Amino acid sequence: MVQFVVDVLIRAVDLALIAIGLSSVYSLIRFPNVALVQYATTGALLALGLQMAGLPLVVAAIAACALVGIIAVVLNVVVFERLLRAGSAIAMVGSLALSMVFSAIFLVTAGPRPKRFELEINPPLRFLGARLTEHQLISVGISALAIGVFALILFRTDLGRCMRATATNSVLASATGIDTRKVTNTVVFLSGVMAALGGIGLSVKGEMSAQLGLDMLLPVFAAAILGGLGNALGAAVGAVVIAAAETMVTNVNFGPLFGESVLFIPAAYATAASFLLLVVVLLIKPYGLFVSEVKRV
Amino acid sequence: MIRVNKVRAGYGDGPDILQGIDLTASGGEIVTILGPNGCGKSTLLKCIAGFVRPRGGAVEMEGRDVSAVPVHEKVKNHRMGFVPQTDNVFSTLTVADNILLGARHLPVAERNERYAELMAQYPSLASKQERKASALSGGERQILSLARALISNPKVLLLDEPSAGLSPLMMHEVFAAIAEIRDRTGMCIVMVEQNAFEALGVADRAYVLSLGKVAIEGRAADLLADPAMRHLYLGGEPPAAEGKPRFAAV
Repeated sequence: MVQFVVDVLIRAVDLALIAIGLSSVYSLIRFPNVALVQYATTGALLALGLQMAGLPLVVAAIAACALVGIIAVVLNVVVFERLLRAGSAIAMVGSLALSMVFSAIFLVTAGPRPKRFELEINPPLRFLGARLTEHQLISVGISALAIGVFALILFRTDLGRCMRATATNSVLASATGIDTRKVTNTVVFLSGVMAALGGIGLSVKGEMSAQLGLDMLLPVFAAAILGGLGNALGAAVGAVVIAAAETMVTNVNFGPLFGESVLFIPAAYATAASFLLLVVVLLIKPYGLFVSEVKRV
Repeated sequence: MIRVNKVRAGYGDGPDILQGIDLTASGGEIVTILGPNGCGKSTLLKCIAGFVRPRGGAVEMEGRDVSAVPVHEKVKNHRMGFVPQTDNVFSTLTVADNILLGARHLPVAERNERYAELMAQYPSLASKQERKASALSGGERQILSLARALISNPKVLLLDEPSAGLSPLMMHEVFAAIAEIRDRTGMCIVMVEQNAFEALGVADRAYVLSLGKVAIEGRAADLLADPAMRHLYLGGEPPAAEGKPRFAAV
């Protein structure tokens, strides 16, 4: 059981980082940015490149996160602000197209073969009978800290109040003296940073490839929708639920239920299980587990 | 204080909704903008506020052309307060957060002082400071939106249909509060209204728009008393044969 919880946490924190970014941006500019998952791959590849250039991994990761945040803002100003004038559906299709462009760039620059960070290999740690590596522990800790910092910003700072005000009613926010464009771009920057951190976290625990972002697309969207699209912290809970469903499918031995000693469901069914869960929850609660601020207005 | 000079404005690629509007408003007076639906009242207010950029002409505040200045800068730098017609509170934030958001650009001491003054002024809000704005009644929301706009001590206050959706009793209270603000602060208040009789009752001057142009302007008391005006724009009885307009038709 402890191993199950640990595995769920390891999977959930990275999903949560990207899903929180997706949901936060959605709450402000009302379209789900598909390209956000590619910011995760960009972050991982940039961090790897900087590490290969001689920077320590921590420094490389910080620089990569900042760079991805800047890229996210530039793309928002140059591409998405313009597309949004034509409507959110057009912006979403545009983000899908941009996502494909990212994939092509990753294939050309990094190649099709999976890559890994240069990390020391240590024996796994033991915690209440569960096993996890030092890298997994550090990665989960950093990601959880990032989620905590984001929650503090959202609920305990002036920027957070401005973010919630803009998400609730952007016209009124402007009339209150809030520079809504600046707030939006700050959130876009933070979403890029968190997506990059999620991508780096995933790659530290395994490997990275040009496909990393697209592999994350469906679980991240499922987590964000399950948590109530537009509700940032709801997305974090959605990520835990999706991670639990995936982990249950891949890690739990269903043998005793069917009179067999060992019976595992093939890992390929992991995504299907999370989507089955999503469909069931949405049938009961169509706006997700937590109604978003956007929907409440 | 406010001078609108031959302003033309519209939305997107559409036609001009405002077709060369002139308007002035000074400190210590309430100027109300009236007219039938679709005449351009709210567009004119949005133009003054900065939500809609004029296609021609100019909007001036204290002698400076502010036609291209965005709303949030006018709030901070030109001491403007704006209360929209609908969705005029942040329903997911508390009453206190709603009000304090309007004073982000003030020094902390001044902000706290202004907040305390407003709580003393509006006791119905003082008892609900930590409640979500979504829990307030329509009238309380209108008072909350006024308090949010007033906390920064604006020189200019723009109100888009402050009586929309209110009961007659609440409407009376809201108009009384607006008149009190003018009398106490000497603020310049520009107010778009559908309830023309009530608006003229508290306003000093009025502009009546028709098809994007100023059709009639004059002192509120004169417009209220004029039978032709009552018939044409306020839904009153037709004027008697000898009734002659006492206002300046433009």
